[in-house]
Amino acid sequence: MASDGAAATPAKASPKKANLLDPHSIKHLLDETISDVVKSKGYAEDTRLGNWKLAIGAAVIAIALLAQFYPKKFPQNREFLLGCIALYVVLNVVLLILSYTKEKDAIMFTHPPAGSFNSTGLVISSKLPRFSDMYTITIASADPQSISANKPVHFTKSVTKWFTKEGVLVEGLFWKDVERLIDDYNTERKGK
Amino acid sequence: MGFIGDTVESIRSIQIRQVLAQIISLGMIVTSALIIWKGLMVATGSESPVVVVLSGSMEPGFKRGDILFLHMSKDPIRTGEIVVFNIDGREIPIVHRVIKVHEREESAEVDILTKGDNNFGDDRLLYAHGQLWLHQHHIMGRAVGFLPYVGWVTIIMTEKPFIKYLLIGALGLLVITSKE
Repeated sequence: MASDGAAATPAKASPKKANLLDPHSIKHLLDETISDVVKSKGYAEDTRLGNWKLAIGAAVIAIALLAQFYPKKFPQNREFLLGCIALYVVLNVVLLILSYTKEKDAIMFTHPPAGSFNSTGLVISSKLPRFSDMYTITIASADPQSISANKPVHFTKSVTKWFTKEGVLVEGLFWKDVERLIDDYNTERKGK
Repeated sequence: MGFIGDTVESIRSIQIRQVLAQIISLGMIVTSALIIWKGLMVATGSESPVVVVLSGSMEPGFKRGDILFLHMSKDPIRTGEIVVFNIDGREIPIVHRVIKVHEREESAEVDILTKGDNNFGDDRLLYAHGQLWLHQHHIMGRAVGFLPYVGWVTIIMTEKPFIKYLLIGALGLLVITSKE
């Protein structure tokens, strides 16, 4: 059992620690660790959505700065300001729509693993409701319409299973749980 | 050798995209304040939609530290209205009451004289040297509402700059140290 745990967990220079009184800190640490597990299974991260959000955010900032430093005094620049404000609102709405339709609870998107026949990557989502200790991880296909998409799999567990009293994350246990979930997802494909 | 390895590892663990995302979200918060102000300007038609009363010249109606909301429209200026105007050579706009208006029949020009309610004399001493009347282009807006005491924050930050920098520093630290 000890050797199995050692094999599952790569050596770490220092243990990961979270503030047990801060649910955001706990969720953030668990999400980070899930990313590490998924990458170690051969999935490369798909950063296209993140890049789009960064680009739109930068455009929003540029529009506001343009409105601020336009070299004309009010009210000569009234029409220009109206245009900037409208564009600003539109881009923010686009950003909101992206968050609600594409991202939702997703913490990571991946490409298909190299050398695989599967043509779609994964979407890993997680949820830690407020005032609750139950942490849910979901793995689904990035493209549900694809012929190679599998049914989503998920599990829910109390975060108390993975943390010591001092707030140190017991990575071996957590890695095992996440890896088993990934294997469950891939096994469903064989069954199909 | 272990120390060098640890240093390289810690530098590599800094996620550039995460830092960039944080910088952009901070920028979006700041720029949303700018855009809200621009929106107020367009909606009210005034260059300064909100001003803080800095002196006691309009007591007892407006006291130092009150906030005035302005609006500018095509309606003609009338005696008794409280207007905000700019004087050439002065940085800070002045909020006073109109006491005289002269209109010319053959053109749209108006001559306006103002006075602070709590002042002894009219505002000719405040106008630019040699100027006896205000004209339409000096008027930035007229007061349509006010909020007492709220402007004291601005006055304190203007008169005691170290409080301003203290506040900005504290807020900056808060944003930088918070995660997710």
